Amino acid sequence: MDWYTAIRAIIFIGAISVSLPVHGQVTPLASVQNAVGVVVIVRNGGGQERLHGKGNVLLYEGDTVKTDSASQGMIEFRDGVQVAINEHTSFKLLTRWVRGQSRVNILRMKEGEVWVRTGEGRKSLEVETPVATAAVQEAEFDVRLRPDGQTVLTVINGVADFATAFGTCSVPTSTVSSSSRGKSCTAPVRMEVMPSIAWINGIRLPAEPQS
Amino acid sequence: MHTYNDRRRFARRIQRYLIAFQAAGLLAAFSGCGQTHDWLMVQSREHHPLIYVANESSNSVSVVDTGTYEIIGTIDTKNHGTHDLALSRDGQLLLATNQASGRLSIIDTTSRETLASIYTGNRCHMVVLTNDHSQAWVTNIGDDTISIVDLESFRIVGAIAGGKGPMGIAFAEDGHYAYVSNHGDKTVSVIDTASHRIVKSIPVGPNPHFLTLGPDGRIWGTNADGNDIYIIDPATQEKVASFEVGDRPQQIAFGYRGSQGPFAFVTIGAAKKVVAVNADIKNLKAVEDIFVGEAPNGIWANPEGTRLYVGHERSNDVRVIDTGTSHVIETVEVGRKPIRVVVSR
Repeated sequence: MDWYTAIRAIIFIGAISVSLPVHGQVTPLASVQNAVGVVVIVRNGGGQERLHGKGNVLLYEGDTVKTDSASQGMIEFRDGVQVAINEHTSFKLLTRWVRGQSRVNILRMKEGEVWVRTGEGRKSLEVETPVATAAVQEAEFDVRLRPDGQTVLTVINGVADFATAFGTCSVPTSTVSSSSRGKSCTAPVRMEVMPSIAWINGIRLPAEPQS
Repeated sequence: MHTYNDRRRFARRIQRYLIAFQAAGLLAAFSGCGQTHDWLMVQSREHHPLIYVANESSNSVSVVDTGTYEIIGTIDTKNHGTHDLALSRDGQLLLATNQASGRLSIIDTTSRETLASIYTGNRCHMVVLTNDHSQAWVTNIGDDTISIVDLESFRIVGAIAGGKGPMGIAFAEDGHYAYVSNHGDKTVSVIDTASHRIVKSIPVGPNPHFLTLGPDGRIWGTNADGNDIYIIDPATQEKVASFEVGDRPQQIAFGYRGSQGPFAFVTIGAAKKVVAVNADIKNLKAVEDIFVGEAPNGIWANPEGTRLYVGHERSNDVRVIDTGTSHVIETVEVGRKPIRVVVSR
């Protein structure tokens, strides 16, 4: 074998070894890192995983994450976005792809409450409910979905777009807006917002800075 | 060996070249410019309406020029199980549901590329635009919901809990109500578009599927297992008529036969035919069977109502019917399992 043939063989084998894993690969979007009680992960193709206490259960698109009435959880996305899950909460993990933009992670809520902190930079996350979608970059907010479908958005820091089928509200720091079926979002009302996220203190990881 | 269609295509091409050549000659004579030939050719191609065909097993949309009946593009929907299509009024956006992916593809018809992919729900089925074209409503069979997609931000801005297995969807002429067929409930849900609440469920028959707005302002639907079509009057929110058309009726389009009409043309999946039904609900009757290929499903009429475009799931083609003569005048091979056809203005 001459040098030319050997180099071609190496390039070919290298290309095969690089390309093979890509085809069957599914990239995790986030991981469940802490549970008070138990966090249940229902996989898209069936089957369940559970986390008790600290851990690192990877989450993929299509997974459903659930807590019962005595459990809370903490999730971290690959880009550093943090999500705390309150008791009696269920959501599905989804993404939206738009040409020329980075893929947007989405929590589609069925019930319950989540707190989200995106941190600095162009990190984004959207929370969908049956009546609205809260979309943010560089913000900290809380979404509570009531059993009747009413959705309450509380913005701790930053600005959130609160989009309904009847219009969109821009909700700034320390304000609250809500939406219910058949109605647009309410005008943001300024109020003391910290009490509404007191519930996350029980699930925060020790190393995290306080809001 | 050249087929009848090949000869027709060739004749049309020659005719177009001659017209363009004559026009270019005239223009050149007046302006003294001999470089207009290409420009005229482009213009003559561009104003033909385009046929968009959803190919469920190819995960693509075929684009057919109605001037030449040739495929001029194939769009990758970036998803699986491309099923239903809806076209914006200006023809710029094409929406495609992808049943296997549960996603809506938003396609730019100018670049013929998918702009966005949005998860709506498990086994998303039909898509329809609101009357102001600001939102798309999508039925999700597996989730029993109707997703509302904002077409500016491409975000989901709401979801309405529907009946069991929502499939077909259509808006009333005034946009005040949406009608959703539920194959599990054998009903059509009437949704008030102001409150997003179901105000009535109308029993319609076994396996209701396709729904569309008729030229009479009523909602026309097919019962795939009931062998019939039915009509709902938005004025009363009642099923006001039904008519048996044949084994597994699929979709409906409205057109004319010469000066007569309108007629409802219904694809009959198991009978290799399109049935023309007098669209007067006081006198519903089948006036003609137009025999086509195996498993006809998607059907669309041109705005004049003189041509029908029929997709065939098994032979993977779209056949063009002249409603005046009831003859198939063209057959265009498309992708695998063409299931829905829409045509631009």
